[in-house]
Amino acid sequence: MRHSFRRDMIIGAIAVTALVLLPLVWPNKAFIDFTIRGASFALFATSLNLLVGYGGMVSFGHGMFFGLGAYSFGLLMQRTGMSIPAAFALTIVVTAAVALAVGAICVRLKEIYFAFLTLAFQMFLYSLVILWVPLTGGDQGLRGGIPRPSFLGIDLADQRQLYIASCVLLVGGLILMHHIVESPFGYTLRMIRDNATRAAFLGVEVFRIKLVAFVLAGIFGGIGGVIMSLFVSGAYPEFANWTMSGEAVFIVMLGGISTFFGPVVGTVILLLLNDVVTRFTEYYGLTLGAIILLFALGLRRGLTDFLLDYWRRSPWVLAAAKRGR
Amino acid sequence: MATHRRSGINRRAVIKGATATAIGIMAAPMISRAQAKPIKIGMPTILSGRVAQLGTSSRNGVMLEVDKVNAAGGLAGRPIEMVIRDSKGQPQEAARVARELVNSDGCEILIDAEASSGAFAVHEVARDLKVLCLHTNSETSSLTADPKQRIANAFRTCRQGIHDSIVGGAYAAKVANAKKLAKWMTCSPDYAYGRDTTAQFVEYLKHFKSDVEVVSEAWPKLFQPDYTEVITKILQTKPQALYSCLWGGDLTSFIEQGNIYALFTQTETFAVNMADYTALTVVKNLPKGIHSGNRYIKTFPTTPQNASWADAYRAKFNEYPTNWSWQNATAINFLAAAAKKANTADGAKIAEALRGLTIDSPFGSNGKLTIRAEDQTLVGYAIGWGTTIPTEPYVPAVTAGDWKQIFELETAWKKKNGYL
Amino acid sequence: MDIASLVSCFGSAACVVTQVTSGLIIGMLLFLVAAGLTLIFGVLKVINFTHGSFYMLGAYFALTIFKLSDSYVLTLFGAAFGTALVGLVFERLFMSRVYGQNMLMQLLVCYGFILIFDDVVKIVWGAEFRSMGMPALFQVPPIFVAGGVVPPFYLFLVGVTVVIGGLLWLVIERTRFGKIVRAVAHNPSMVSVLGINTGILYGMVFALGGLLAGFAGALAAPVRSLTPGMGFSILIESFIVTVIGGMGSIVGAFVGALLIGLIRTFGSVGFPLFTEGLMYLFMVLVLIAKPTGLFGKEIA
Repeated sequence: MRHSFRRDMIIGAIAVTALVLLPLVWPNKAFIDFTIRGASFALFATSLNLLVGYGGMVSFGHGMFFGLGAYSFGLLMQRTGMSIPAAFALTIVVTAAVALAVGAICVRLKEIYFAFLTLAFQMFLYSLVILWVPLTGGDQGLRGGIPRPSFLGIDLADQRQLYIASCVLLVGGLILMHHIVESPFGYTLRMIRDNATRAAFLGVEVFRIKLVAFVLAGIFGGIGGVIMSLFVSGAYPEFANWTMSGEAVFIVMLGGISTFFGPVVGTVILLLLNDVVTRFTEYYGLTLGAIILLFALGLRRGLTDFLLDYWRRSPWVLAAAKRGR
Repeated sequence: MATHRRSGINRRAVIKGATATAIGIMAAPMISRAQAKPIKIGMPTILSGRVAQLGTSSRNGVMLEVDKVNAAGGLAGRPIEMVIRDSKGQPQEAARVARELVNSDGCEILIDAEASSGAFAVHEVARDLKVLCLHTNSETSSLTADPKQRIANAFRTCRQGIHDSIVGGAYAAKVANAKKLAKWMTCSPDYAYGRDTTAQFVEYLKHFKSDVEVVSEAWPKLFQPDYTEVITKILQTKPQALYSCLWGGDLTSFIEQGNIYALFTQTETFAVNMADYTALTVVKNLPKGIHSGNRYIKTFPTTPQNASWADAYRAKFNEYPTNWSWQNATAINFLAAAAKKANTADGAKIAEALRGLTIDSPFGSNGKLTIRAEDQTLVGYAIGWGTTIPTEPYVPAVTAGDWKQIFELETAWKKKNGYL
Repeated sequence: MDIASLVSCFGSAACVVTQVTSGLIIGMLLFLVAAGLTLIFGVLKVINFTHGSFYMLGAYFALTIFKLSDSYVLTLFGAAFGTALVGLVFERLFMSRVYGQNMLMQLLVCYGFILIFDDVVKIVWGAEFRSMGMPALFQVPPIFVAGGVVPPFYLFLVGVTVVIGGLLWLVIERTRFGKIVRAVAHNPSMVSVLGINTGILYGMVFALGGLLAGFAGALAAPVRSLTPGMGFSILIESFIVTVIGGMGSIVGAFVGALLIGLIRTFGSVGFPLFTEGLMYLFMVLVLIAKPTGLFGKEIA
């Protein structure tokens, strides 16, 4: 089955239209808030899965780009008074530049050492955020709200319009990432994941491909951070802390790493869990921990991975495969 | 359990909530207005992690007063229903929870019992949703002092850094004069509260005694488990006096570890956050003679009202009240008084009534507390310093601070910072 | 930054002595926790992220045992063996089910248990800060050595830790158990072919890790405040220690712990606001120069 960018675009357009129309028939503020947060985390987690699922590169420091996106966007808006699209574009440039520098050092390392080094870089960045009080506000974060001036008639201070913008960013980001993983580049990345030595023998520039993947993942992770900074109208050091990376790893694991939409599913599961469990108990850790164990020891993989396996093993699919042969 | 109605946990409310969730947590809130419809007050706070005690004692303080208010007929006839949620101490969760409390749980008032950055996150939500919001735990002065932060619908019903620093500076200068303490050192947690509070304390110490010199500073991390390197640094500096605004478990660790170096016999120690039961009852070998501000202590103000409030709290929750307890109790007291004055539970009208409101309270310096109209923050609360003894009542005598002096110097401070 | 103080500190013997001593104190407790972490990784190739929780449990066990018995010796052993039991049960019932799977799945199980242990502690011992109190034996004035101050409790702490470190080294290098452990780390399938029950061995290794962490918790309990989530910062620091020293190397953990202790103490003199960042910077540099850590063996 050949991947078609046009088909993606059509599905994306339908998805955006549906999401935009939904609040008109079902005006629910909680749903709007939920979706904005969901868009932020889904982009962030899917971008991590570019590395984990497709590149076999387990990063423990992906939160650094989430934080970087939130802080650079928030600072540009607070300090320079530029328009939102300009700050957004510049934020992408900043995130890409940092990802390039960090990636150039990290992607040379394999497996667990790659994970450690990304984590160390993230924590170093986190220490800088805490230390550089005049710029970042230190542990208090960027306070006083992020100004959101209207552009092209769009007012992101209005939660409904922010919702639409988040939906567009989410769907657009997912289409782009899907395009990336289905492109020849994406298949080269999978080849490196499965056997880097063989890929190198075949003339693949392993380092370069990995680095590009790292930068792309950083950019989309940063966009997730931008959405979050708009949602809370601020940026906080927690965004750059390793717990944020942990959250993304957790989402990816919950949803599954072998399907493209796994992290999106994982995001919805985690956010629902989080919101529902904190409603009814202060023993959030106990409840969430038990659910995690259910996934890890019961399903032994992410939800979509589990469903995919189940589907592949179903008699109907096996029979169809036999007929096809 | 995080859902409360009138007293403690109501199973039916939980089951009702659980059913609603099963149907779909996004379900739109019912719009029906009966005569005595309960008024829901949302309270994001920290109920898990290292500072879970902040949340539990804030909740206790609130529930103690809510029971009284409801027994007396509620807010303008409407019984209060508290909806208390855990933010896990993350600002983005605090913002999310606050929004959800208003948007989907139908809370009409917010009590923001978050600490530091969480309070600023909730403040932005209050700005956005225009809901009445009472900050009860953030002591960062700029939250109310800075006109850029200020919004008409947000108030503070707790102590704040600048007041503490002025009183602390005046008291410390007096002690320093008597005991000839010129060589000082500071040791405070390395985050905004620690840095700001310490800088302000030093500023006012020097204001009252100009020949004081701060020879060295130590900045342990927040929640740092080990203070050995800090303590040895102090021992080498050999200051005559030490100031610290460490708090809670950090302060108790510091005291226990300082004890084995005999630190507190060598230097006069001013630990502003010592006189709170969270620290006093926990430290096993509380040194005698540590100077501390009153966070919450049963013996100050020395009134029967204060003592009986502490006893009632202890009887109900089987623990001592904390600084967080009285601040949150005060929020409910002010809401009740303002609703009575405005004769409505409407948030905007309560806000109007709160500005400049004075109430009777066990926590007032002269039995009264006031929400100052100009910056919508609490003034006139009991504030003072005393020294510790190893056993109850821990801080037997507290020297009260002078509010006239606080107001004068606070105004000067605001002018200097461009807030006025 | 305060480079001048750092330079003047290096110029004064008293300052160097005191800072090195406090580096030792910080480093030794870290070493106990990191040693278990690195041992478990060396044998099972699993990063036990619940190790901080073991330390926390050790401290809380100590709190209760000391309250009941008033004997610090009993407290130390009780807490250590109690935590060892937790480690054993945790490994046999849960971790053993995710060996050979994706590293992230093991991480997930650990994460789940970090959350669970924190809440269990909150339920059993309460959310508020607790303190065990100094045993009467050590409630004595500090000793003065060459102008520096040394509290007797810390002398005891460092002494005990060095003894334990030595014992651990002997066990790994000189006993049959140690030989098997080293063999498993090298080639697990070969060992099971030889008829050794690796399941029991893995459980033992986790128990040993728990023993060390629990002992560290009990040693820390008299001087550090106890609170749910207290295992978190020690986990991060001991993790840094093992990464710097080399995952799987006990000697590496020892050297790494000392280095971190010294960075902390001298860093607080020279860079009082950036000691944390200094640790991460050092970790970045080590990983770039030698990804397997200072004493780590190259992976095949």
